[in-house]
Amino acid sequence: MAATLCVKFLLKPGWLPFTQTVRHGSKAVTRHRRPMHIHKQKLLAVTKYIPPPRGPPPGAYPTQVKRVQEDNPLMLLMKRDLKKVFEDCKMVAVVQNNACNSEDMLMLKHRLYKHGITVKLFPNQVTRSFLRDSVYCNMAPLFIGPTLLFVSKEPKVKEMLKTLRASPQMTLLGASIDNTLLSAQGVVSYSKLPSVTVVQGELVSGLTMLTSNTASMLQRHPTHLSALLQQYVKQQSSSNSAEEAT
Amino acid sequence: MISLIKAAVGGLTGICRATGHQGPLHSHLKVLAAGLKTYEVPPDFSDVVLPEKPKLKFMEKVPNLKKAKKEMKNLRDIRGPAQTANSFTTGQYAIVAMGGGYLHWGHIEMIRLTINRKMDSRTTFAVWRINGPYKPITRKGLGQRMGGGKGAIDHYVTPVRYGRLIVEVGGKVELGEVEHILTEVAKKLPFKAKVMSRESLADMQKKQADMEQNNQNPWTFGQIARGNMLGIRKVLSPFDLVNNGRFTGKFHNPGRV
Repeated sequence: MAATLCVKFLLKPGWLPFTQTVRHGSKAVTRHRRPMHIHKQKLLAVTKYIPPPRGPPPGAYPTQVKRVQEDNPLMLLMKRDLKKVFEDCKMVAVVQNNACNSEDMLMLKHRLYKHGITVKLFPNQVTRSFLRDSVYCNMAPLFIGPTLLFVSKEPKVKEMLKTLRASPQMTLLGASIDNTLLSAQGVVSYSKLPSVTVVQGELVSGLTMLTSNTASMLQRHPTHLSALLQQYVKQQSSSNSAEEAT
Repeated sequence: MISLIKAAVGGLTGICRATGHQGPLHSHLKVLAAGLKTYEVPPDFSDVVLPEKPKLKFMEKVPNLKKAKKEMKNLRDIRGPAQTANSFTTGQYAIVAMGGGYLHWGHIEMIRLTINRKMDSRTTFAVWRINGPYKPITRKGLGQRMGGGKGAIDHYVTPVRYGRLIVEVGGKVELGEVEHILTEVAKKLPFKAKVMSRESLADMQKKQADMEQNNQNPWTFGQIARGNMLGIRKVLSPFDLVNNGRFTGKFHNPGRV
């Protein structure tokens, strides 16, 4: 202040007043934020952080890399159970469960249990992961939605179909019987087949009929046999002449 | 009601036992397991060793000096980021300063008493990361006229910069168990402070590094200030050259690179 006053008094006409800055020492006021210079404010505004453009939200696109499924111990246990089921049982039928209430389900289970068929329930996740690396991998498309497994050690298809007829909520999707994958139609036609012993009997009877026919022919009168042979020769010759004519 | 439930549960278990593993009811009951909760595995504290004296030590109000010497204000000691004690040593959780400031002996005593009273010293330990008050602050006596030289030393303080850990807490505890104690203390400090764990501090540092790496702004503070573009150095201090506008005095400007 004193300096500026002195300058004022000493001014002569014609002199340009030279400006004199007096520095009182810049103090970093730390109690509060100092008012910022406008240029510094502008500089801070210009040099703000700009984040990189945001990518698509997670989960918008399917992942390129397949996620490795961590093995839940419960899942492993169920997988082992399922493996045992497929090993032990000759018939594994896949059935869709359309909102069957528990009472009906219990009844169905009891009815099936009478024939030695057990109802098993596995989560589809477990089933699919089991099927992916097994020989039954072609069964995988059957396991969509609420599905049940009807398993039994003997292929008792007829009994199963009869029981299923009583409960309309259950829809048969397919089955693997004696390591053969069958569709629902296939299962029905399989059930219509006679049993193995009956078929074997038919075969044996057919084979024996041929021999018995020949034997009965031979035991007939010789004139009858000669007439038959003559007829045969005539037929052969007529067919030969017809062939030559053409 | 309770007896009814008991009877029902007993009946079910009885049926299960009767039919065995292969029975039709067993697989029916399996459906109920869908809602079972899986609990998180508790953290393993087997390698944690507690020190002999787990509590915070008492700090002297006045440093033990042969000759107390008056010092200048030297406000530089609370500006900018901390260069020391800005990472964890033995503990897991800490109070981290989010700005600069001076801690008095009263603050230190408040921290010590609160933490020592509320923490469980059998499972938890706490360690100081600051020194006792060492910077003398002078005051003139009441009713004294100005002049006559610098006043006498009134008290001592501890300067703290941004990012410094004040107190570390560790032991066989999770953050949820000690967080309320530390936040209670952090609220009363003369600067902004935060409770952080090892992970969250590393996360914060990583976030800052990522921001510096991925900044899409072609104009950076350092480049403009160092190049003295448009004579901007006129309004910038040497302090800004070093910190790139991340600090104004003792305050930290968050979100800047």
